[in-house]
Amino acid sequence: MNELRRLWQLFRPYRVWMLVGTLAAILTLLANVTLIAAAGWFLTAMAAAGAAGVAMNYFTPAALIRGSAMIRTAGRYGERLVNHEATFRLIASLRVWFYQHLEPLAPARLQQYHSGDLLSRIRADIDALDNLYVRVLVPVAVANVSIVLFTIFLLFYHPLLALSGLTFLVLAGVGLPIWSQARGLVPGRRIAEDEAALRTAVIDGVQGLAELTLYGAAERQAQHIDSLSRRLIADQTRLSSDHGLTQAAVGLCASLSLWVLLWIAIPLVDDGRLMPPQLAMLALFTLASFEAVAPLPQAFQMLGRTLAAAHRLFAIVDTEPAVAEPSTPSPRPERFDIEFADVRFSYPDTPRPAVSGIRLQVPQGTRAAVIGATGSGKSTLFNLLLRFWAPDSGSIRVGGHDILDFHGDDLRRHIAVVSQHTHLFDATIRENLLIANPDAPQAAIEAACRVAQIHDFIAELPEGYDTWVGETGVRLSGGQGRRIAVARALLKDAPILLLDEPTEGLDAATERDLMQALDTLMVGRTVLLITHRPAGLDWVDQVLVLDQGRELARGDVSVVPQAMQAALLPLRAEAETR
Amino acid sequence: MSVNAWLKSQRPLAGKALLLTVWLNTANGLLAINQAWALAVVLDAVIFKDADLSEVHHWLWGLLALFGTRALIVWLAERSAFQAAASVRATLRDQVHRHLQRLGPTYLSGQRSGALVETLTKGIDDLEGYYARFVPAMTLVMILPLAILTAVMPMDWLAGLVLLFTAPLIPLFMILIGSGAQARNQRQWKQLARMSAHFLDVIQGLTTLKLFGASRREVAVIARISDDYRHSTMQVLRVAFLSSAVLEFFASVGIAIVAVLIGFRLYGLAVPVPAWIPIPEITYLQGLFVLMLAPEFYAPLRNLGTQYHARMGAVAAAEQLIQVLDAEPTRIDPGTEPLAAARPLGVRFEDVHFSYEPGREALQGLNFDIPPGQRIALVGTSGAGKTTVVNLLLGFLVPTGGRILIGEQALAGIDLEDWRRHLAWVPQQPRLFQGSIADNIRLGRPEAEPDAVREAARRARAAEFIDALPLGYDSPVGERGAGLSGGQIQRIALARAFLRDAPLVILDEATANLDPESERLVQEGIDELALDRTLLVIAHRLNTVRRADRILVLDQGRIVEQGTHDELAGTGGLYARMIAAHGPRAHEGEQA
Repeated sequence: MNELRRLWQLFRPYRVWMLVGTLAAILTLLANVTLIAAAGWFLTAMAAAGAAGVAMNYFTPAALIRGSAMIRTAGRYGERLVNHEATFRLIASLRVWFYQHLEPLAPARLQQYHSGDLLSRIRADIDALDNLYVRVLVPVAVANVSIVLFTIFLLFYHPLLALSGLTFLVLAGVGLPIWSQARGLVPGRRIAEDEAALRTAVIDGVQGLAELTLYGAAERQAQHIDSLSRRLIADQTRLSSDHGLTQAAVGLCASLSLWVLLWIAIPLVDDGRLMPPQLAMLALFTLASFEAVAPLPQAFQMLGRTLAAAHRLFAIVDTEPAVAEPSTPSPRPERFDIEFADVRFSYPDTPRPAVSGIRLQVPQGTRAAVIGATGSGKSTLFNLLLRFWAPDSGSIRVGGHDILDFHGDDLRRHIAVVSQHTHLFDATIRENLLIANPDAPQAAIEAACRVAQIHDFIAELPEGYDTWVGETGVRLSGGQGRRIAVARALLKDAPILLLDEPTEGLDAATERDLMQALDTLMVGRTVLLITHRPAGLDWVDQVLVLDQGRELARGDVSVVPQAMQAALLPLRAEAETR
Repeated sequence: MSVNAWLKSQRPLAGKALLLTVWLNTANGLLAINQAWALAVVLDAVIFKDADLSEVHHWLWGLLALFGTRALIVWLAERSAFQAAASVRATLRDQVHRHLQRLGPTYLSGQRSGALVETLTKGIDDLEGYYARFVPAMTLVMILPLAILTAVMPMDWLAGLVLLFTAPLIPLFMILIGSGAQARNQRQWKQLARMSAHFLDVIQGLTTLKLFGASRREVAVIARISDDYRHSTMQVLRVAFLSSAVLEFFASVGIAIVAVLIGFRLYGLAVPVPAWIPIPEITYLQGLFVLMLAPEFYAPLRNLGTQYHARMGAVAAAEQLIQVLDAEPTRIDPGTEPLAAARPLGVRFEDVHFSYEPGREALQGLNFDIPPGQRIALVGTSGAGKTTVVNLLLGFLVPTGGRILIGEQALAGIDLEDWRRHLAWVPQQPRLFQGSIADNIRLGRPEAEPDAVREAARRARAAEFIDALPLGYDSPVGERGAGLSGGQIQRIALARAFLRDAPLVILDEATANLDPESERLVQEGIDELALDRTLLVIAHRLNTVRRADRILVLDQGRIVEQGTHDELAGTGGLYARMIAAHGPRAHEGEQA
């Protein structure tokens, strides 16, 4: 229920909309009840007057009927427009709200989430919140006001009539919702989970189809998706059955209310305490009054799904970013030296630190390489320097300022990362490049692509830079996509250059050309390279050799062979004894 | 097939539940007529015949029975309506997904996963509006109003005529208002698909956006796309609300006319119709009964109007489904023969041509042999056609000319599933799936024993880092191998291939992302793997291909030279030039 209170906070900006929508809904409901009750009274009164041969004023009730028929129709239309407009505005703003909370969590805190699960949150879970507004908040307000008004109205005729009417309205408008809310809690939560699992499985099945097919696992994936689908439908079936039951029960409450009313009112008519037309009027009034509570049971049933959605959204929103943003403005460094001072860091839930005791000074304009086997902690150093994680102890400084004093975006503005592990977006080549610098002129784009050895290829494409690369760049060959990613990084033009195996997977000629081009680009910049290949490092000023997160050697290139030899001995021994 | 015809053709999937829904609702409507009559009798007796409770109580007990029965029917009808659509949805979701699988990775590369996800989730769910709501409403609109007219006509044919002539106005206006609505529904679907596809793309690339300081800029894009979707949703709803208001208006007018005609006659006023029309006399009982039935008469029509919009939502969704279902798999008549050749397999390309689009040939008459048990390397610059060759072998693409032979058997005639059972493949960028590391290694052999999984991991040189994880083989991994480095993912994918134990192994850059020592160790593993198998290795870095029995050099869709490393290195051709370009790194393999 804590979720409800927090959701209410989010809804606050739309209070005026809600008030207008609620008033319109109340007006519509009252007009409808008036219409039906007045029609019953009118017909009976006309018949009674006709039978008795007395005159009656039929213009006033006729005008009342006409008026309420028009208010009902116009009111319902207006009420729906206002409430839905407000809801969808709210929903649209919640997507932005959710994204703004999601964005600071990447990449550190989002590793454990599948993209299908996150997609389900920003799409389906946010959509599920509309139930609370259109189906719960407004109708509950409407029902409260109307139940009071209806009871007062019945009190004018007889206290017993009021008591019976109130009892059945409360039964249908409070009892049934409580029951269906309790029944909907578990399936509602499971539906939220199943929808996310289904999206996850579909994304795995679609984006990984080649491997699934080749390994004969496609059939299993199809069965998995089918079973998720059937589980989801089974839960929905349960909800639907309950929904049918409450729908029937509301109808039954209305009918019973009428039935009890007849038992109470018929003797009153016989006594002359109730006029005959009033009996017809009260009978139809009773049936019509249940429109006030009819939508509530289903709305409360779906509250389970809504609360599960809210819970899933708040789980992300409440996650603290791995690195907190400082409250003070970022420093403006004048120099771009990098310094790692006794840095130690462990990923959560891992026994061994990923890096420890790391010391490295890269003066501005010089080049350093970090070498080590896969898993030796090289990428961790980049993640720390990019402020995706914060060191457990020690510090990292850029231009003499601790990087924790920078806002993440401000720090990363000074850093360009050249790596092929970056994502290509489902857009054109040009749009993918412009992510690095939205204002880059065509000449700069082409220059970056020339350095990355990809301009000639792009120029030969029929649509050139406007070629659509497809999702994750699937329409390009592996090597082409990687070089576009490299070009994008070059377009950023930052004083610090991080190179993450920039030539991995490129053929030798391209690799050589790219390295030569990078060489001119590196002039004047502070460069940090991570690589697992000790060969061809003549162009760096210093080298740090890592082994299992610790410094094995540091110095000029000459320290490498010996250090590598030492580091790999255990591995080699294992390989030989096998 | 038109969307409508398609939706109709899927109706048998709903089974008997659809018919049951119609029957139950019909029964409910007939009971409503009885209920109106009973209620009218009670009110008439009390009001005009001075009856007291004792004279009407048997009618009241009858009413109670009617109430209970109708409530039960309402419940059952809702259940069976949902059930009808549920069967259709479950079956179609499975069918559409399996069809996507048959269409294969080549088709999917032109699609947006986020949009496909919507089609398979919300798109399928939206069909409910058609099968659970619209179809029963369509049938009931032909039954219930007629039943009510049959009851009203003998009582008061004048009111009956009013009902009869106002009824067609409702569907007429419904169609007039709804005529532009289909296009709006389609637009809404497009916006939804676009929104979902964009969100998925952004979520998967969020780190990249952050690296470029573009993730904040993205807020504006998210706001715009969400707002576009809101806009198109409201456009759809506005039409739905307007048409429902118009329906309500016409129903009100109809009921008002009936009420006036009855009221005037009961009061004894002249009804404003020409004198030659003999106006039937009417009693209060009849009048009240007819008036109570008037809303029941319009209810199915109004309901149809409401469900007409549910139908349009379903049609828009169905269009997406049909688009998928109508796409033809690349291989139009799949082969049926089992694979004849025994292990190890030999492969031959005979004048194989392939083009992704007419006029631009990616492969221009490829001829080469992969003899059984040999290790063949395929090298060439990026874009030379290496990946196309692999996709042809995997059966994801079909040659536009020439043929591929497996032993003496044409690949086109072989049952693809059987063929793929004999393959193991490590792609350039392997994907890990939701599940544990062990699940991922077991992908091709789900029944494999834990020992076999460990052995495969050991041979792929993955055992060491897996054992170092707190949960070991049970460690959960995400789609991008969350928490694992590129080299580690690569080795898990290799372990997958080792465990598969297939006679033909295709390695696409299998040792990229590995440090030299791991690479050497994995290479040893691959050497073991190659012992009694045929191996096709795609490589950029030439040191990994030296040990190949033969090297095929691919350039612009042609094999330009082939031979052993030593033969080719001496000829001064493309391969020799590539080695020269490789510079010092060419010797790296020997050093390690």
